[in-house]
Parts: sequence; C-alpha cells; structure tokens
Amino acid sequence: MKDRRLILAFSTLLALLDGCTTLEPWQRDVLARPEMSLDASPLDAGIDDHIYFSKEASSGGRGFGGGGCGCN
Amino acid sequence: MSDNDPSMAATLAAATCALLGAGNASAADDEGDRWSIDSALLYYGEADNRVQDISAAISATRDFDDERKLTLSLTVDTLTGASPSGAIALDRPQTFTSPSGNKTYVTAAGKIPLDDTFLDTRYAATASWTQPLARLYTFSAGLGFSTEYDYTHLGANFSLARDFNKRNTTLFAGVAWSQDDIDPVGGAPIPMSQMLDAGDQSHKLGSDSKTVLDLLVGITQVLGRNTVLRVNYSFSDASGYLNDPYKIVSVVDPLSGDTLLRSPPSGAGPTGVYLYESRPDSRLKHSVYAELKHSLGRPVLHVAYRFMTDDWGIDSHTADARLRWPIGAAYFVEPQLRYYTQNEADFYRSSLRADEPVPQYASADFRLGSFDAVTAGVKFGGTTSRGGEWSARLEYYMQSGDVPSDQIIGNQARREQYPDLNAVIVQFGYKFRM
Repeated sequence: MKDRRLILAFSTLLALLDGCTTLEPWQRDVLARPEMSLDASPLDAGIDDHIYFSKEASSGGRGFGGGGCGCN
Repeated sequence: MSDNDPSMAATLAAATCALLGAGNASAADDEGDRWSIDSALLYYGEADNRVQDISAAISATRDFDDERKLTLSLTVDTLTGASPSGAIALDRPQTFTSPSGNKTYVTAAGKIPLDDTFLDTRYAATASWTQPLARLYTFSAGLGFSTEYDYTHLGANFSLARDFNKRNTTLFAGVAWSQDDIDPVGGAPIPMSQMLDAGDQSHKLGSDSKTVLDLLVGITQVLGRNTVLRVNYSFSDASGYLNDPYKIVSVVDPLSGDTLLRSPPSGAGPTGVYLYESRPDSRLKHSVYAELKHSLGRPVLHVAYRFMTDDWGIDSHTADARLRWPIGAAYFVEPQLRYYTQNEADFYRSSLRADEPVPQYASADFRLGSFDAVTAGVKFGGTTSRGGEWSARLEYYMQSGDVPSDQIIGNQARREQYPDLNAVIVQFGYKFRM
C-alpha cells in the first residue's frame, strides 16, 4: 500500500515536471555553456565548504564533502 | 551555415553534443586533450593573529570513451595561529595548560583566551569514478582520505542519477560513509574533567573515533531555456566522539561571574577552574538546499539557499548570490555575497556557575553559539590564448555573535563576550586541458 502511494506520488511529481518545461536537445544552447553548469567550479565549492565547515555549525547540502578534519 | 552565425553554430554544437550523449562539450572538442586539470592556491587569514591557512589544491579529471571519467584530487593545508579556547575573559591575566599537557600559556587581562599552540598540516586525497549504467542512468563512486597530526579521515560514497523528460529532469540519490579517528595532542580529555597542572595527564584518555553516515536525494530540473534549478535534501547521522578536545568552559562565581581562581599547587598550571567540554555522542542533521542558475544573456546569475536543523537545537540559514559578468570576450568579473545565521546549541554555555551541578553536556565553542556571518567578495578571471582559464578571488568573511543575555552573569556584562571573526580569503586558480 505504502509502495503504491510512493509510486503514485513519484509519477505525479514527474508528470508535473514534464508539464513545466521540456527543452529539446537543440534548445540547449544556453544551458550547454560551461558557466551554466551547476558544478562549474568544483574546486571553489570544495574550498568554500572546507572553510565554512571549520567556522560554522552547518555543512554540506550541496553534495558530499571532500574529507573530514579536526578543524580548530 | 556561415561562420558569422555564432548562435546557429552554438545551437548545432549543443544539439550534436546532446545527440552524442556527451554532457561535457569540451571533451568532444579535442580528442587529444583527455585530462582537465584544475588547480588553486588559497590564503585564508584571520585578523588578530588568529588562524592563518595556506592551502594548495589540484584536481585532475581523465575523460574516457562513453562518458566514463576518473577524477583525482589532492589538497595540502598548512595551519598556524590561535583559536578561542572557550574560556571567558577576566580582569586579570589567566594561565592555562596547553593541549599537549606539558606547557602553559598566558592570556592578558581583558582578553578572550586564545590557544595559540596549534600548528598543523593536513593532506587530503580523493578519487572518484563516474560512468553511465544504462542509457539514462549515471553511477558514481568515490573514496576520500585525509590525515593531519591528530586526525585521520576515511570516506566512501556511491550515487546514482537518472534522467527523465528528455533529460530535463534528473533525480539523484547518494550515500556517503566516513570513519574518522581522533588522536588529540596529549590525549582526549575526559568530558567535563578539570584542566590540570602541566605534567599531570591523569584526566586524559587515548584516541577516539566517530562515524558519519550521509544520505542525499536531489532533483535537477530545467525550468526554461535559460534556467536550471537543483533541490537537495540531505540527512546526516554522526556518532562517536564529537567533542573538540581542545575546548574548555570556565567555572564562575554565581554572583560576580568571574572565573573561580585556583593556585597551581606545584609548578605551572591553570590559575582558574576550567572544564573540558562535553557534547552528545550523536548528532542528526537535516538540510534542504536549493540553487538556481539563470542566464541573463551573457551574464549568469547563481543563487543558493540552505536550511539546516539538527537535534542539538541548531537551526541555520545560508543564502548565497553571485553574478558572473563577462568583460569583452575573454574576461569576466563575478561579485559574490553570502549571508549565514545560526542560533546556539541547546548545550551552549558561555560559562558554568559554581553552585550548579556539573551538566552532562556543555560547550563554550563559539561555533556552537549564536552568530551571523557575511562574506563579500569578487572573483575575476579570463581565458588564455592557449585555452587555459585563470581566476583570482578576493573575499572578506565577517562573523559576529553574541552570548544569550540569560547566560551573562555579573561582571561578564562589561567585558567582551564573543570575539568577532574577520578573515580575508585570497585564491588563485588555473584550469587547463592536456
């Protein structure tokens, strides 16, 4: 029962997203630009995560961290 | 197609790329350039002789046929400087036993105590492999390792992504696990035990460890020809030794708010009563992260927001915006602004009253306190004639917090409670293919 509900919710989500936008491959000129990638600067992101992890009580969210530390 | 019709050329290139199933356009440009190298040199410096960090990072990605790729990275960090110990300021100088347990250091009257005895070099390495599993599935696995004088980290992660709706929607799920071993200088102190005289190690245990399990699910959705959105939910379960072995809490007179004094009976030792902090041995965190990229013609706007909540009572909000603005054909400038705010952990205590029973958990670590932080900066970059890309980033990080008013006792009100943190971040980067 639970599985069926999950499948229903999942298909509804996909159907909604399908309705919102569907770009054809040849309409992806802008999104194909390197600076439009959500992971355009992984090294910058890693450095930022490491600094803020060391100085604040929150971390992560974007992806997996690149290594723990006993930061002071 | 004529050469002077760049939009048509770009459209066709994108279409070809999409038909070939190549996510990375530049990989297909030159079959000879299989490696992309990304490198960075970072200086992070806090004002008032606090932490200084020089770090070098390099990441190399090798593209194979059929969208398979291997990424290797290496980072070296060198840290020096001083960090707040958690003890409160007093109107008289204070002496502390250093973390190693065999020396002492003195903090001047009126100053928030900083432990300036730490110095560390950290090496971190990661490796990850990504490949398609079927037409619409992408699998990725990674390993991470880092080591420093008192800390070793070993981690592994796996993730799977599936594309839907002509690749306009991608669902992602991943799991990461890490095992960290902590071997503090002089041993890990027994939580809530008192700081002892130099040479007395009877309150120190050996090393300890913690494990962290992270789960992440996310969706990336194309919202239009110029806009893409990503939303992630992540769950993190940390258990084991979660204390900072070098942080202490002052025990104070319940009326004056001044630290209880003691005379070291023999030789050098602390001049006040300080207890080593104690945190719960488990922490569950939930966070929701959303980011959006939108092209405004050539400029690109990136905005991100994260909400985090955990069972230590900390909630935080992070908002980040950056605008990449091209200058001519080869350069760009990217101003950035980030705002962060968190409230204090349930067991955050700036000091402990001498007339109360010693609590099970208490920490005066300012990073578990209530504070706001702003980062403002700019990145400038450009491409070289050989196709490389360089960048320089300058940022200023400002953190200011306060101790909850119901925790301020007597004389503490007229002294500095919470040290502001101001840091400069300078980074140079260079990317190229070979």
